[in-house]
Amino acid sequence: MARGLWTTTVGSFPKPPRLEKARSQHARGELSAEALEAMEREETIEVIRRQERIGLDIVVDGELYRGDMTTYFAERMPGFAISNPVRSYGNRYYRKPIAVGPIRRKKPLTVDWWKFAQAQTSRPVKGMLTGPYTMMDWSFNEHYPSREAMAMDLAEAINEEALALQEAGAKFIQIDEPAVSVRPEELPLAVKALARAAQGLKAKTITHICYGDFDVIYPALLDLPVDQIDLEMANSRYDLLERFRVHPFTKEIGYGVLDVHSHRIETKEEIKEGLRRGLEVLRPEQIYVDPDCGLKTRTVDEAFAKLEVMVEAVREIRAEKGIDV
Amino acid sequence: MKIETTLAGSYPKLPTEAGEMNLRVTRNRRDQGKATDRDVEEAVRETTRRILRIQERAGVDIPVDGSAAWDDAQTYVARALGGFAIEGLIRYLDTNTYYRQPAITSRIEWQRPATVEDFRAAQSMSERPVKAFLPGPYSLYRFSRDRHYGGAKEALADLGAALGREATALEEAGARWIHFEEPWIGKAKSDEAPLIRAALEPLLAGRKARTVLHVPFGAPTAVFDTLRDLSWSVIGLDLREAPAGWDLLPRVPEGRAVALGLIEARNTRLEDAADVAREVARARAARPDLEFQLSTTASLEYLPADRAEAKVARLVEAARIASRNGG
Ligand SMILES: [Zn+2]
Repeated sequence: MARGLWTTTVGSFPKPPRLEKARSQHARGELSAEALEAMEREETIEVIRRQERIGLDIVVDGELYRGDMTTYFAERMPGFAISNPVRSYGNRYYRKPIAVGPIRRKKPLTVDWWKFAQAQTSRPVKGMLTGPYTMMDWSFNEHYPSREAMAMDLAEAINEEALALQEAGAKFIQIDEPAVSVRPEELPLAVKALARAAQGLKAKTITHICYGDFDVIYPALLDLPVDQIDLEMANSRYDLLERFRVHPFTKEIGYGVLDVHSHRIETKEEIKEGLRRGLEVLRPEQIYVDPDCGLKTRTVDEAFAKLEVMVEAVREIRAEKGIDV
Repeated sequence: MKIETTLAGSYPKLPTEAGEMNLRVTRNRRDQGKATDRDVEEAVRETTRRILRIQERAGVDIPVDGSAAWDDAQTYVARALGGFAIEGLIRYLDTNTYYRQPAITSRIEWQRPATVEDFRAAQSMSERPVKAFLPGPYSLYRFSRDRHYGGAKEALADLGAALGREATALEEAGARWIHFEEPWIGKAKSDEAPLIRAALEPLLAGRKARTVLHVPFGAPTAVFDTLRDLSWSVIGLDLREAPAGWDLLPRVPEGRAVALGLIEARNTRLEDAADVAREVARARAARPDLEFQLSTTASLEYLPADRAEAKVARLVEAARIASRNGG
């Protein structure tokens, strides 16, 4: 019997309102770091429980303790300064990394949280890192002479962290590169940097990419030196499948079936249809089913409602097509 | 000849000094029920006043109002047009910033002025001609989801016409400069040229105001032959992210102007004013017949407020050196 269609998520979960509140209290100096972290641990346990209850095959820690996906890492690495607030949308602001010296990894960045999460569950917990190209592209640079020089220093630092996650026992390590797809001319740089970041890893490696002009970057995208590429399928109404008919998708795929930009909860039927269409051009053992992107912009209820329908749809398709876990 | 200075796009809303009006705080208080919509409106006006004062003090010739009331560069205008619904947050190109995605759900029509009141308010605060800011139709279309039209050309013609009505309303309110932001034109391939023409030709034709077609993040090389035919007054080039823009200078039609985007809006590193002045001299040497402006590459809102202010000062300093050396 064929195996495949494992379920997972892209990484981030929405922060519950009480945690959002605690984070702003902490930022204003009204709540201690210890109290905030205690709450982050409680909520991380809750997010893992809920993923187990829904029945996701591979779980994540939910990144509830991270703010922005680049700043979290930059705050912990020498060579980075953090800017005054920059707007991300509307009335939301974040502090952005500035490269002001050689970037290094001097201490673990995520390993403790990964260990904590893995201790809560018997299911595999993915290690989640932000990739060197994206860290470079989303930071200001006042130090490096070139984008490549900065990306390659970051790649070395992230590789040290990835190896530490593997050492701690991570079987899946995801190195996200959402910025990769927008500058096709820099794809070779992204490939080179990611290869350095993933060097020496025996764990399954994954990278997540969003948007982008696939007319230009596909099939070159398949050069990314990882086992699995995670893509938004639902958001583009599965248009990418037409490209896979022309140039077969040769790696494992993180197959996004939930539009994370919409409040609407997908119907089971539309997800099943998306999976059936995928199975016309992909083998079941290539496919990991997940949302299009991180769920952090949805509400907690929306996020889990969407995931519940997703897992249900996968169960029925597995039965329909005779696919084992 | 004097090099005029201007900014492209919006400007950071946060104050750099404690005690100044803080729009972010006022909006948060409104969301918590502790301030009113009226308070937010006042904070927007006060923020606009500060943004204009920063530019005036520095000596910017053609200031912008900073789009203080806007959440992002698309939806403020799209919300006012008929035919758009506003959907979820999505990333704005390769920046780590977001916008709400407009969706076209019925025929696009101009219904009411979107930006005219803001323009009037800003112009009343400044002695200098405030440059009005609008999304360009081609990019607004590419940023949107089209759930209504069968083809892009028809949608773009309607969108161009609707934004044309907005531009006319701005002209009637006294706008002497109107900026159209067109990042997607810098990414366009040659087969997109007919669509760009469909959107921009009627919009730019016969304008009373001077129009700026600003193309951040990329060089519009592939469609420049089409752009040459359109009646913009100034083409804005991002010469930091897209140095290929230098090669377009020889192809700019006579009698037009070029805004040289040489002050980088997406990096905190401050340019050296003398270096920038030398680059202006290089442009003048390439086209002694053209008028040049010195500009930021894109919206300074990508920077924290303190760095944005430093960039504005550097912009003006570079233009002064260039004007002096240019004789
Ligand atoms: Zn994503």
